Amino acid sequence: MKQYLVILKYELFALFISPATYVATFYFLALLGIGFRFFIESFSYSDWILPPLSSLVVGLLFGAPALIPFITMRCFAEERRLGTLETLVSAPINISLLVVGKWSACFLFFLCISILSFCYPLLLLFIFPEQGYNLGFNNIEHWVGGGIYLFIFGGTFTAIGVFSSSITKNQMVAGMLTFTLLTLYIALMTFSFGDSTSDEYSSKPDKLIGALFGSFNNGLVKLEQFSVGLIDISTILNQISLTIFFLILSAIQIERLNK
Amino acid sequence: MNAENRPLPIIEVINLKKKYGRIHALKGISFSIGKGEIVGFLGPNGAGKSTTLRILSGLIPADSGEAKVCGVDLAEEEGQVRNHIGYLAENNPLPEDLRVIEYLNFRALLKGLEGSRLRDRIKIVLETCDLERKISERKIGNLSKGYRQRVGIADALLAEPRLIILDEPTIGLDPHQSAVTRKMMERLRGEVSFLLSSHILSEVEACCDRMIILSHGQIVAEGSLYDLQKRFINKTIFEIVVSGSKINIQKEVRLIDSTCELLKDDPVEASGKRRFTFSTLKGDSVAESIIKKMFQHKDLKISEFQITRPDLETIFLRATKKNWDEKDFIRAH
Repeated sequence: MKQYLVILKYELFALFISPATYVATFYFLALLGIGFRFFIESFSYSDWILPPLSSLVVGLLFGAPALIPFITMRCFAEERRLGTLETLVSAPINISLLVVGKWSACFLFFLCISILSFCYPLLLLFIFPEQGYNLGFNNIEHWVGGGIYLFIFGGTFTAIGVFSSSITKNQMVAGMLTFTLLTLYIALMTFSFGDSTSDEYSSKPDKLIGALFGSFNNGLVKLEQFSVGLIDISTILNQISLTIFFLILSAIQIERLNK
Repeated sequence: MNAENRPLPIIEVINLKKKYGRIHALKGISFSIGKGEIVGFLGPNGAGKSTTLRILSGLIPADSGEAKVCGVDLAEEEGQVRNHIGYLAENNPLPEDLRVIEYLNFRALLKGLEGSRLRDRIKIVLETCDLERKISERKIGNLSKGYRQRVGIADALLAEPRLIILDEPTIGLDPHQSAVTRKMMERLRGEVSFLLSSHILSEVEACCDRMIILSHGQIVAEGSLYDLQKRFINKTIFEIVVSGSKINIQKEVRLIDSTCELLKDDPVEASGKRRFTFSTLKGDSVAESIIKKMFQHKDLKISEFQITRPDLETIFLRATKKNWDEKDFIRAH
C-alpha cells in the first residue's frame, strides 16, 4: 500500500510539472465552458429532455477522446522511451501495483478536471441563484448521479489510455491509439442510443449481452438514469470490470516486456 | 582467494540457461561470488553479460538452472531479491524532469526507507558519490554524464544493499569520472559485494578481485588476474635492455635455457642500446637466473631488466579467441 502511494504521488507530480497537461486542461475547460454557456442560453427553446446539468457530463464524455490522451500518453510510453521502466522495476515493487498507481494518478487528474468543470454550474448557482434554481442546479441527486457516471466512465477511459501507453514507446502513438479507442467506444454508445428494444421483446442472448456489457454499448441510455439520480449498479459493475480488464492487460504487457 | 577461505557466497549460480527465441543467450553458466568481493564480468558484445545481470537482479526469469542471490532463490522469490541488491542498468536511464534529491527521495521511498533512516541514507549516498548540495538541487536532465552516473550509483547504494550490480558503470565517462567510480567501490570494498560488467579492461584490472569472462553464453575463464595469467599465458616474457654488446645475447641466453625464444630485437631510440624480448616456458625463476648470468658478463652493460606480465586485454583476447574460432568453424561448415 505504501509503495502504491509513492507511485501515485510520483505520477501526480509528473503530471503537474508537465506543460502538456496544463495546456490540454486549459483548452478543454475553456471549450467546455463556452459550450456550457451557449447550452444554458438556448436550453429554454431546445428539445433537451435531460436535466441541464447532464449537458456538462455529456460534454466531458464526448470531450474525453481529446483530453484523456494528454493525461495518459506519457505514463508508460515515456518510461519505455527513456528506459526508466527497467530502473523502476529494479526496486522491490509489484508490477500490478505500478500499473494501478499510474492509473490512479491519471484518474485523479481526470477527476480534478471534472470537478473544475462542475464549477461552472456551481458558479452560476452562486452568482444567479434564481436562474440556477430554474435550471435545477439545486437538485443534489443530479449532481450525485452525474458525478458517479463521470467517475465510472472516467476510470474506464483512463484505463484504456494507460493500456495504450503500455504498448508503445512513442507518446504520440500512445495518444493517437487512446483517441481512436475512446472514439470507437463513444461511437458504439452513440449508435446504440435510441435502440428501443425493450427487455420483454429481446431474445435471451440479447439479454445476456445486455447484462454483461450493458454500459459498454448502452452508456448513453444509462446516462438518462444517472442524470436524474437513478444509480444503476449493473452499469457501475460493468465499468469497474472493464477498467480492471484494461489494467490487467497493461500489467500483462509490462510483465511481457521484462521477459 | 582460494576456494577454501572464500566467504559464504552472495551469488550462487548453477547451470543457468536463457533463450531469446532461437538464440541461446546463456548455455548453462555456473559461478559464485563471495561476500565483499568485487567481481568483473567481461565478454564481447552479445556474450550474455547483461542477460545474466538482469536475471540476477530479478528483472527477467531464467529458463532453467538455479540462481541464489543473498540466499534468495530467484525461481521461487524473484521479487524478494530486489530488497537485497542495488542495480545500475546499462546506460543508466533516469527521469529527466526530476531534481537529484527528488529522485533519490522517490527511490528511497520505493525501497521502503522512511523517516530518519531515509534522510540519513540520502545524506550518506550524496556524500559517498560526491553529489554535493548544489548538484543535488539540479535537474537530472541538466547534469553531465558523469554526474548522472553518480546519481545512478547513489540510487544503487540507497537501501544498504549486500550486493551491487553495475552494468557498464563507466561507459562514456572521462578518466576523472571513472576514477571517482573506482574510488567509491574501493571505499565500500569488503562491506558490499560488487558484480560489474565492463568493456574497459584496464578498469576491471584495477579494481576487481576476480574476473569472469563470458563468450557466446558460456564462461570461458574465471579467477584472479594472477590465475588467468598463469592459465592463459604459459610463457614468461622478459625484456633486457643492453648497451655496447658485441656478444650474441640470444646464444648466451640459450645456453642457460634452451626453450628461450627471442621475440623482438629493437633499438632504444638514439641511445645506442637495444631491447631484447625473450619468452621462456620455464617460468620466472629461469628468467631470474638468466639475468644473474648476464650481470657476470664483462662485455655486457645491462641498463634494464623486467619480467612483463600479460595484461587483461591479452588474456581476454586469448580466452575468447578459442570460442570465436569455434563459432567461425561452425558457421563455415
